[in-house]
This record gives sequence, structure tokens and C-alpha cells, in this order.
Amino acid sequence: MEKTAARPVNVKKLVLRFFLYLTVLIICLLILYPYFAMLCTALKSRAEIFSAEGTVFPIQALWSNFDDIWYRAPMSKYMINSIMIAGGSTIIALLCGIPAAYALARMKFKGQTAFLGFVIVSQMFAPVVLLIGIYKVMMTLNLTDSLLGLIFVNAAFNQAFTIWLLRGTFLGISAEMEQAAYIDGCDRFESLVKILIPVAAPGIVTTLIFVFINAWNEYTVALTVISTDTNNPLTVGVNIFNGYNMIEWQYLFAASIFAIMPVVILFMMIEKNLVSGLASGGVKG
Amino acid sequence: MCGSHVVILAGWREKCGAGLKIGSAPFVSYNYDNGGAAVKKKIQKIEPYIWIMPSIILMFVFILVPIAFVFRMSMSKVTKAGLIKGFSGFDNFSKVLSTPAFSMVLKNTLVWTVAVVGLSTLLGFILALLLNNEFKGRKVARAIVVFPWATTLVVQASMWSFVINTDYGTLNTLLKRLGIISRAVNWTSTPEAWFAWEIACGIFVTIPFVTFTVLAGLQSIDSSYYEAATVDGADYWQKLFQITIPLVKSSLTVSTVLNIIYVFNSFPIIWNMTKGDPANRTDTLVTYLYKLAFYNGKQGLAAAVSVIGFLILLACALVYMVSTLKKGDE
Repeated sequence: MEKTAARPVNVKKLVLRFFLYLTVLIICLLILYPYFAMLCTALKSRAEIFSAEGTVFPIQALWSNFDDIWYRAPMSKYMINSIMIAGGSTIIALLCGIPAAYALARMKFKGQTAFLGFVIVSQMFAPVVLLIGIYKVMMTLNLTDSLLGLIFVNAAFNQAFTIWLLRGTFLGISAEMEQAAYIDGCDRFESLVKILIPVAAPGIVTTLIFVFINAWNEYTVALTVISTDTNNPLTVGVNIFNGYNMIEWQYLFAASIFAIMPVVILFMMIEKNLVSGLASGGVKG
Repeated sequence: MCGSHVVILAGWREKCGAGLKIGSAPFVSYNYDNGGAAVKKKIQKIEPYIWIMPSIILMFVFILVPIAFVFRMSMSKVTKAGLIKGFSGFDNFSKVLSTPAFSMVLKNTLVWTVAVVGLSTLLGFILALLLNNEFKGRKVARAIVVFPWATTLVVQASMWSFVINTDYGTLNTLLKRLGIISRAVNWTSTPEAWFAWEIACGIFVTIPFVTFTVLAGLQSIDSSYYEAATVDGADYWQKLFQITIPLVKSSLTVSTVLNIIYVFNSFPIIWNMTKGDPANRTDTLVTYLYKLAFYNGKQGLAAAVSVIGFLILLACALVYMVSTLKKGDE
């Protein structure tokens, strides 16, 4: 009582606080609403979804929908494909990106700026704009309708981010320890593997997860170059329930939840590091 | 599949081999008269190129070659099967530009990009300001804002088409339950309405990126600026416009530039919701060129549309670069 009497200004602060909470709450509800609708629909029966009255919550949660999708479509195949594509792309993107970022951060060479420039300009080309060309390259290399082709394309289009993020990470780490290692007789490769990579691990993990998410979420190239249904990743595969004749919303959404949950969780884990990484990479450009 | 894998590896080795040969010739000649120092220098000179070689090869094969191919195709006669049958100059371009639908597609692309980037930047910035306050549950709020960023676009698009469906969409059901409307509303009665919903979906998925980029910028601002301003008697708006905005401008620029590129090239939302139909009314350049290439067998025209899209983005990039260079001069 005494305290509030002593500080009358706080009423204004209290009102502001209230509005802050209210606005944030409304925004969060708006963001969650489509996901809420998706989850509820995934638990309804087909009859309930198309009923004239319509329901917000399912009358009775039909968890069997989450079970049925594995029999009604090659879901496990899609899931494995997604894991292979995302995992493979991540490995190749990092195997190519780490040395490149290391060279950019620790060495001086002719064409350095040109290379960095090309890396940035490559961002301007989305795969969809180059699809005709990508398709042609894949035909030449006999990579159409294969996971390997998607892995290479995803890895290539994620090089810019990989190099950008890792270069920022490496630049943020002092080179002193590596120089000490050279004196002890380490070569560059050893100093990278034994000293820089362990120190830069948080940045590398952030990059790794980010590339994984991008490759997991890729839709357009997979839609175009994959012709056998069982070679599809989840993003394309789940649309098997979104047919020309009828849409099985409950299955589409149950499958979609499987497609998004892993990456949403991964994303929450790296969100903080990712953003500061992007920002620091930019500042040091 | 395996064969092609070997081809790539062989190509890789060949390229690396070529890179090494440059160094190995001096290795022989210098080894005798000059000792190790000169050799070491030579190796040091080519070493960085070996380090960047894998990355260069990857981007060369899967980005640069496709770029070159699209440019070549845009100036060639192309058969329905996609075979190049001779040079045709700017024929494809003039054909594309004279198509009546094309001006509408261009206009749609412009509206789509400006509306999505503009509104999501504004809303994302406001959301970042809100989330920059200390309050209970901020972590939860941040986690929730991540959702649209992490969700693949094609799922977001199906989610939205379901929510706004006239007959069984949950938006109508919810509003009826809350007593806000009495009869189901047809949210998508016209192509323009569809397009507006697509834009809304685009904004929804783009906001998180802006928010988090700006938040990173906001959190690096030294709080002493605000304390000093408070001492000087500055109010909230003065602090916003004279401290906050100038200091997060670089974050905002990064997110805006990247978003212009992403949104301009964004394909899954429109493809999943309307496929650009009816009659190109909701098409943007990328959905238009996709249909030309993979539905109508007009790859030459599609390549021309690709090049036009690229030139537009390049023009934007040049404007941006010139304006930052000018500012640097001042």
C-alpha cells in the first residue's frame, strides 16, 4: 500500500504493461490459430469436417488418423527420403562450405572479393527461376528422379548461407591459437580440424541445423525433378491426400504435422544463434 | 544414379588435379636451386584455391551452369521436348512481352512483392519492438513466433486454404460460433480476393524473419543511449525515431533486401492455393514461367521470363548498391 502511494506514476506504467501483454497475446493467438485449426482437423472424421454446421474442436479426437496415414500412403518412405535429402544436403553443404569459409576468413588470395561477390549474387537466383537449367543439368548427369540430385541442388543453393554464416563465425574467433599450433608443427588442415572447428562448434551447429531445415522444407525442385511417388520427400508427398477428386483434409493435416514438427523444434533450438550469426556475418562483410 | 555419382567425383578430381599441376611444375624447377622457401611460397599462393575448390565446383555445376543454360535457352529456338534448335535472338522476349497476360503477371508480381515485403517489414518491426521488452513469457512468445518461419511454405498454404474455405473452413465456423457472423462468408469470391489471401499468407510467413533480424539489432543497442535520452527528457517517439530506428537500420536493410529476393521468387504459396488461376489472374512471374516450362512445353519462353525476372532483381540490387555507395560518399 505504502509503495503504490509513494509512486503514483506507476499507474501509467501498469496500463502500458497491460497493453503489451494484450498485444503480444493477440499476436501469438493469431499465429497459432492456423496450427490449432490444423491439429483439430487432423483429429476429425471426414464426415465431421464436411458437416454443414461445422465444429471448432473435434467431437471425439480420432487419433487413428495419425495411424491411418502410414497405411494409406508411403509415408515412411517420404519420411526416410526427407531425412536422406536433408541429411545429405547438410553434409555436402558443410564439407564444401567449411573449407571455403575458412579460406575466406583466414587467408588472403586474389579473387577473394570476386568469390564472396559471387556467393552473394548466387542468392539472387532461386531454384525455381533456374529450374529449366537445373533439370537439364540433372538429365545430363542422370540425376533426375533421384535423391542424390536433390541433395546436390539443395547443398549448392545453401552454399551462400553456409559460407556467410561460417565466415562470420570464424572471423569472430581469434587466430592466435591456430598460429600457436602452426609453430608446434600443425598444418592448416590439422589446425582447422583440431582447433578452429571445436571452438566454432556452436556456429557450425547453427549452420548445420539451418541447412537441414532448408533442405527438409524444399518443395519446388522436388516437385519438378521427382517423378516416382516413392522418391518424394514429405513436402511433396503429403499432397497425395490433396488429390484432384477429393481432399482428405484430416489425413493431409495429420501428415503435415509429421512434416513440420521436427523442423519447428530444431528451429526453436537455433533461433537465437542463427539471428545473431546472420547479423554478425553482415556487420563484418 | 551410381554412375553419375562417379562422373561427378571424377570431375572433381580432374579439377583438383588441374589446380595442383599449376603448383607442381615450379616444384620441380625450384627444388634444386632455391631450396624449399620458393616452393613453399608457390604452394601458399595456390593453397586458398584448393580450399574453395569443392564449394566452387558445387556452385558451378548446380547454379552457374543452369544460369548459363537459361540465358542461352532464352535466345534460342526450343522444341517442345526442350531441345535447342538454333539461335533466335530476342524472339522469345518479344513473344513473351507481347502476350496480353504478361503485363498482368508483371503487375501481380509487383503487387505481391511490395505488399508482402512492405507490410511484413512494418509488422515484423513492431513485433520486434514488443518482444524487445522484458516481460514474463517472452521466451514462449519468441518460440511461437518461430512457427511460421520453420513451417514449410506448402503446408502453410494448405492450412490457409482450409481455414478460409467457404463451405467448411474453420474461420467461418469460428466466427459463427462467436456470433460475429450469422451466415458463411465467401472469403474468396473473386480472383483478387484469392490473391489478397495469398498475400496475407505471404506476410504471415515473412514476419518472423523480419522480427528476429530486427530483434538481434535491437539487442545490440547499448542501453546507455536510452538512459541519456531519458535524462534529456526525450519521450518514447523521440527515442524510437532518433535512437532505435537509426541503429537498427542495417538489420532492417539486410532483412528487406533478402526478403525482396525471396518473396519475388516465392513459388509454393501461390502454386498450392490457386496455381495462378483463373486465367493468370493470380500468377506471378515464377508460377507463370513454371507453367510455361513444365505444363505448356514452351521452355524458350519460360527461359525468357526467367531472364526478365532476373533483370528486374538485378535492377533493384543496382539501385540499392548505388544508393548505399552514394551515402558512403557523403
